[in-house]
Amino acid sequence: MNTLPLTRKSSRSLDRLLPLIFLPVALIALGPVVRLLLEGIGFGDGFTTSHLTTVLARPSTGTALNHSLITAGGGTLLSILIGGAFAYLVALTDIRGKGALVFCLMVPMMIPPQITALAWMQMAGPSSTLLKVVGLAPPLGSPQPLHSPSGIILLLGIQHASLVFLTLRAGLRMIPADLVEAARMSGAGPMRVWVQTVLPLSMPALIAGGAMAFVTALGNFGIPAMLGIPAGYATLPTLIYQRLVGMGPSVLPEVAVLALLIGAVAIVGVLFSRFVLSRRGFGLVGLSGTPLALNLGAARQPVEIGLWVFIFVILALPLLALLATSLIPAYGVTLNFGNATLEAWKEVLITQPVTRRAYGNSLILATSAAAVLLAICLPLAWLMERRATRLSRLLDALIDLPYALPGVVLSIACILTFLNLPFTDLTLYGTIWIILMAYLARFFVVMLRPIQASIAQLDPAMEEAAASVGAHLGRRLRDIVLPLAAPSAAAGAILVFLTAVNELTVSALLWSSGTETLGVVIYNLEDSGETVMASALAMSIVLLIIVLMGLVQAGSNKFPKGVIPWQS
Amino acid sequence: MAELNFSNLSKQFDGVPALQDINAQIASGEFVALLGPSGCGKTTLLRLTAGFEQPSAGTIDLGGQTVAGERQFVPPEDREIGIVFQSYALWPHKSVAANVAYPLEVRRVPRAERQNRVSEALTLTGLSDFADRMPSQLSGGQRQRVALARCLVFDPRAVLLDEPLANLDLALRASMHDVFSMFHRRTKATMLYVTHDQGEALALADRVAVMQAGKIRQFAAPETLYREPVDCFVAGFVGDGAVVPVRRTGRVDGHQPVVNVFGQDVRARSATTEPSHVSIRPESITLRDDAAIRGRVISCTYLGGRFRLSLDTAGETLVAFATRRAAIGETVGIHLDDLWAFHDPDSNSLMAKSLAYA
Repeated sequence: MNTLPLTRKSSRSLDRLLPLIFLPVALIALGPVVRLLLEGIGFGDGFTTSHLTTVLARPSTGTALNHSLITAGGGTLLSILIGGAFAYLVALTDIRGKGALVFCLMVPMMIPPQITALAWMQMAGPSSTLLKVVGLAPPLGSPQPLHSPSGIILLLGIQHASLVFLTLRAGLRMIPADLVEAARMSGAGPMRVWVQTVLPLSMPALIAGGAMAFVTALGNFGIPAMLGIPAGYATLPTLIYQRLVGMGPSVLPEVAVLALLIGAVAIVGVLFSRFVLSRRGFGLVGLSGTPLALNLGAARQPVEIGLWVFIFVILALPLLALLATSLIPAYGVTLNFGNATLEAWKEVLITQPVTRRAYGNSLILATSAAAVLLAICLPLAWLMERRATRLSRLLDALIDLPYALPGVVLSIACILTFLNLPFTDLTLYGTIWIILMAYLARFFVVMLRPIQASIAQLDPAMEEAAASVGAHLGRRLRDIVLPLAAPSAAAGAILVFLTAVNELTVSALLWSSGTETLGVVIYNLEDSGETVMASALAMSIVLLIIVLMGLVQAGSNKFPKGVIPWQS
Repeated sequence: MAELNFSNLSKQFDGVPALQDINAQIASGEFVALLGPSGCGKTTLLRLTAGFEQPSAGTIDLGGQTVAGERQFVPPEDREIGIVFQSYALWPHKSVAANVAYPLEVRRVPRAERQNRVSEALTLTGLSDFADRMPSQLSGGQRQRVALARCLVFDPRAVLLDEPLANLDLALRASMHDVFSMFHRRTKATMLYVTHDQGEALALADRVAVMQAGKIRQFAAPETLYREPVDCFVAGFVGDGAVVPVRRTGRVDGHQPVVNVFGQDVRARSATTEPSHVSIRPESITLRDDAAIRGRVISCTYLGGRFRLSLDTAGETLVAFATRRAAIGETVGIHLDDLWAFHDPDSNSLMAKSLAYA
């Protein structure tokens, strides 16, 4: 047998060209954030701090900041209580049905906040269809109890409890089982073990989860918009929204300062938690082989019932209320078997051009964002894992920023960047492209991290084996890396799709007539009193989300560990 | 098939030397083992040959072509070198047949010829019945055979094997030895085999390069390594026995220098006139009651057919074979014969050191 000639292609040139991908990635993901920072110091009209001082000195700014801190802080405390209780019970005890319990606790995180708010509003107050059915509705004219700071705190707390839960459970899994066994051998009962061993060891994870919940609550727009604006209670994100919607782009320099203010508070929150963590690190090593399962004994059944009742109250009840409202012929009518109708569903899904357009827009935006990110992140993740340079590591560290910063901050940054495209007279503001750009920037990490995780788990020998038998870089990426990373990439794409399809915070500031997204339309319908249609639209989205989550869940054994957020 | 030359080859990782000044020639069709403790640089040498790393200095020539050197670097995909990984590195998403066919696909071999050559390679490695299995459905030994078949199918100019048996159990290793020997006879490929198991290296290779701390200490046939080690490291690392410092007498008896071991003058085979140590293999020791050197038995292990004794003699531990069991603590007489004396390069500095402290 003779040595076969290799079909020589320029394998080296691809090697050189691939790193060029860093340029558009850095521009799209980090460009707007940099642009926003420049705006704060008066970029364009010379260095000035006048915007900074006027805006910061205005009383409305202080009030909104105060409201933001109160609601985000209160919501975080509630998240810690709920998420912490669930995490300790699920990770440490022998309760049954953990998988289903976790899945149900994760659903609120995936449901967009404005839908959560809408659903809860249908559960309380004088017009609640559900309360009317059971005859418990308060008299007409009495106030909606959720239109208040405590209503905002309650919903923020429930919405972000899963963040605390996930971080804490990941931390609890790092605690070696023998530490707990050693404590029990020393004669400590379950309660004492929890207070004296588990709680101190899991404190760093609890703090980290709390910090995440705080930053996310701070940037939340949907809940304070639905509950706070009717009550005249403005937080920083809703203040930005109201100013920009009321006055147009002329107030951009001012709202940029407000956006920077939120960003600063968020960063202070993260830094504070890092500081606390750095002083409390215990350096736990290794995953414990056997999961902890403290025996609850006779208390097991009551605890299980308690958890499921809680899930029922925070998840099933609001959704039932939402469903009930979507089935009545007109808002305020009491639902019974005779008058239930799918009229509102037909209206939003088939008749109304705005809602149909919104469905189209959101689906197209979510699909394109997922597709574009998939195409970019696969080679990017490979480069970051296999050809790590100082530049790629820097990008790796900064790429979290657009996702970690509150959505309004990124929106303002995008408006500033794309209002006048550099070197041209073109503007993306008012087109669907600016929303797509913002989505690309915001959801970059959502796609990148799962692919990175799967490539990191891939034995480099797989690619070396392909190289040694003659496959050049392009073929190796196509034949070896792509198929092996595909399940995670699919999970990442579905996650991007899920998050983008019902996103409100970013598009609320970027939409214009014709480019409405689902999130925007639900908000506008509710805002203009079309609660029944808003409920039908919201309910259809919830169903879509649960189906997609179920799909990911069904394929979960094909993904590397840590890819699916609700399984961590 | 091609010969492989390393000249003045060095490799540093972040300034830490992993290989220093490697010079070696491997003839076309030769089976060479790289043997050494972990961290000795043998895998680095293998990866440099494959093209996964670039040398810091020096050149690698394959079949007369410089594949790595100053301002020259042929990437692994253009080197025509097959490699069998310790982890096998089978592509889990491809069936056995697809794994083996991939090198031919990359070379755009027509389908009919591809199928012929794949089935030929599978037959040769005894895998014909497993062609449609996925790698996850195979045992360790079968996976190793797939990796071999994947190498065999494209007739590489050289084949590199990176600790291929490390993940297999003992019984399988023995049968894989036969597979490798068959593979080598059949393909006449130039083979470079990395291992830390001296049994494997001595059993399989035409020549063995013993490496330590980034250097080749000795590169010779297995029997030469065993009978004529060049230094204390090789003498101690390869084979059983003891290495003992000697005093030179300056006398020569029939071309063989006479050295003083344990106070007795003994003739030794040697390539030097200034030996510093002798290698005492178990075969060199005969237990005799009248022998002048005495040793105390410190352990006695039955090996089947004979006993292996460890003997304490003036602070050194010698190894001897005996036909009968010995009691621990018993004193025996040791007769030495057919020793190999050599000059250990490190002994100069050791002697200088001990003189300085004296």
